[in-house]
Amino acid sequence: MIRLEVRDLHKRFGGLHVLKGVTFSVNGPELIGLIGPNGAGKTTLTNVLDGAIKPNGGTVYLNGERIDQLQPYEVARVGLGRTFQVTRLFRRMTVLENLYVPALARGGHHRASETRSKATSVLEFLTMEHLRNEYAQALSGGQQKLLELGRLLMLDPDVVILDEPFAGVHPRLMEIIYEYIRRVNGDGKAIIIISHQMDSIFSLSQRLLVLDYGNLIADGPPDEVKRDPAVIEAYLGTEADESSGDASSGAVSSDNAPVGNASSGGVPPSNASPDEETAAS
Amino acid sequence: MPARHVPNAAGVLVVAFLAVFPFVYTAADYDYIMHICITAFFYAILASSWSMLSGYAGQFSFGHMGFMGIGAYTTGLFCHYLYLSPEPTRLCIEYPIGDLYLVVVNPIGVTSTTLTQDCLRQALAAWDGSVAVTPMPVWLGIVLGTLMGGVFGLLIGLLVLRLRAAYLALFTLGFAEILRATISAEIEITRGQAGLELPHLFENGVTILGQTYDKTDKIPSYYAMFLLLLLCLGILTWLSRSKFGLCVRALREDQDAAAALGVNIIRYKILVFVITTMMAAAAGAVQAHYVGIITPNNLFLLQMSLVVAMAVIGGIENFAAAAVGAIIIEFALELLRNSFEIGGVTIDMTIWRLVFFGILLMLTLRFSRNGLIAPLIDHFTRGHVARETVAARTAADRAGASR
Repeated sequence: MIRLEVRDLHKRFGGLHVLKGVTFSVNGPELIGLIGPNGAGKTTLTNVLDGAIKPNGGTVYLNGERIDQLQPYEVARVGLGRTFQVTRLFRRMTVLENLYVPALARGGHHRASETRSKATSVLEFLTMEHLRNEYAQALSGGQQKLLELGRLLMLDPDVVILDEPFAGVHPRLMEIIYEYIRRVNGDGKAIIIISHQMDSIFSLSQRLLVLDYGNLIADGPPDEVKRDPAVIEAYLGTEADESSGDASSGAVSSDNAPVGNASSGGVPPSNASPDEETAAS
Repeated sequence: MPARHVPNAAGVLVVAFLAVFPFVYTAADYDYIMHICITAFFYAILASSWSMLSGYAGQFSFGHMGFMGIGAYTTGLFCHYLYLSPEPTRLCIEYPIGDLYLVVVNPIGVTSTTLTQDCLRQALAAWDGSVAVTPMPVWLGIVLGTLMGGVFGLLIGLLVLRLRAAYLALFTLGFAEILRATISAEIEITRGQAGLELPHLFENGVTILGQTYDKTDKIPSYYAMFLLLLLCLGILTWLSRSKFGLCVRALREDQDAAAALGVNIIRYKILVFVITTMMAAAAGAVQAHYVGIITPNNLFLLQMSLVVAMAVIGGIENFAAAAVGAIIIEFALELLRNSFEIGGVTIDMTIWRLVFFGILLMLTLRFSRNGLIAPLIDHFTRGHVARETVAARTAADRAGASR
């Protein structure tokens, strides 16, 4: 059973207190959305979780093993994989080589034929078999995004953190990414999605974490989080509360959920039509 | 033959040609051409190992000639100061080893060689030919030099773990310069600019296939350096096609992303430093014994620039191309020494050849960033990729349409 436990995590950069005692846990193959305004500390949290940044306080355990002082490669081998906000491929390596790196680097005994066949099945799933020998730099932005996700399939971690997986992706590729998330989650992996695309986050997530100025201000099912006054305030600000007048009484709907923040997108109801979503945002 | 095999076939032909070259070339300038070949092989080892370090792993080190110098000076000092004697000299520091004594000769610097004899020479004079001492074997010096290069590679590798790009380049440049300055300053031990004399690679001659060669013959040195080059290229080829090659290239591309995917970047950074510096040190040790003298000038920045330029012109991201580039450039630099006249004006090519070389380097960097040889190899090895991609896409589309 997967268990990621984050306890009282603090991170300071000089005088800036970026993470202020963040605590949450992931139990089993949950599909979690992590949202928050720009500068809330989402990427810093990801960097701390994957070992790229060492926290100033707090602990992180993955499957009972403490990982907050490990190097990133050790964290990856323990079972936490991530993608980056801006795609970071091995650009002057072929698509296949990009997939081989995590499979071989993780250690242990590998049969070349098994690695090859796994890479082939990943490429088939991502509809990229025809690009196997192309350099990663030759791919389109969306294909690069898919390849980055494919590398995670080769790493096969227990917990997957996807940082902005939908940003700048064509709707057709978006479908593949949705399918990817459902498949990985269906394989028993826990997934944390960081995104500003609220429609995607709300439609996919079983649970939402909301960060604001380094504080975890909400943690619960999407429907509850939508109505959380602290979340509404984080996205709309107090002035909006006063002007709308009904934030405290009414639930956050597609009409008044984080609509004020254009960069954050809207929070459409799950049954909102594309037109309504566009209007809301 | 499929086009992708053309570079390998060409490589085999070049190796075969170089293997028989000393026996088929018979011109009057034989010794000179052999000397250029040996020097070209030396630079090819340096350029190809530097290509693995900088082109493959992205660790831009400008200390490669420093490691070459460590190999050369280690074997030089080893052969210069250590001897085996059946009798104790009672003048030198000495350690009994079985029936023999390991004699450590006292350093006497440069000017005193004619005025004062070192302790061993004094002992030999006293023995008056009744006792013969044995110098250290050259091969052991080369092995020690190679290992010492690896030790320093490990230390520098550990020190530069957190350094990237320009900082790494400056650090390693500083290391090489400190090393050169230290060797220049420690005249007592290293003989400074006067240089440290070394026994020849095959001091007592050698017999190959029934033919005996004395120490002035070029053929044994030619094959020694040629075999060392092949060994280094063999190791680099094996590494580049293994997990090691994949991981160091990932390290070059994006070390944070590589680490996030489980690549132990610390291990690979250190490994690539140790392996490539050992190659540079081995080349330096063999070359020093071939030339018979090593001076701090061999560690000058200009020498490092030459190695970098050779690798860049050949193709920095392909060690085989870097080696070929080094051989071609070395030949070009030597054969372009002949001055000529245009309209009564003498063009002194001993100077102008370096200008032409510099222009070639600039043009390469501007118009062909991966050198002149590597794109040629890529043309054959990757020329089919685009066609295959289109064919696979078309096949997939057709399959989709038929469904």
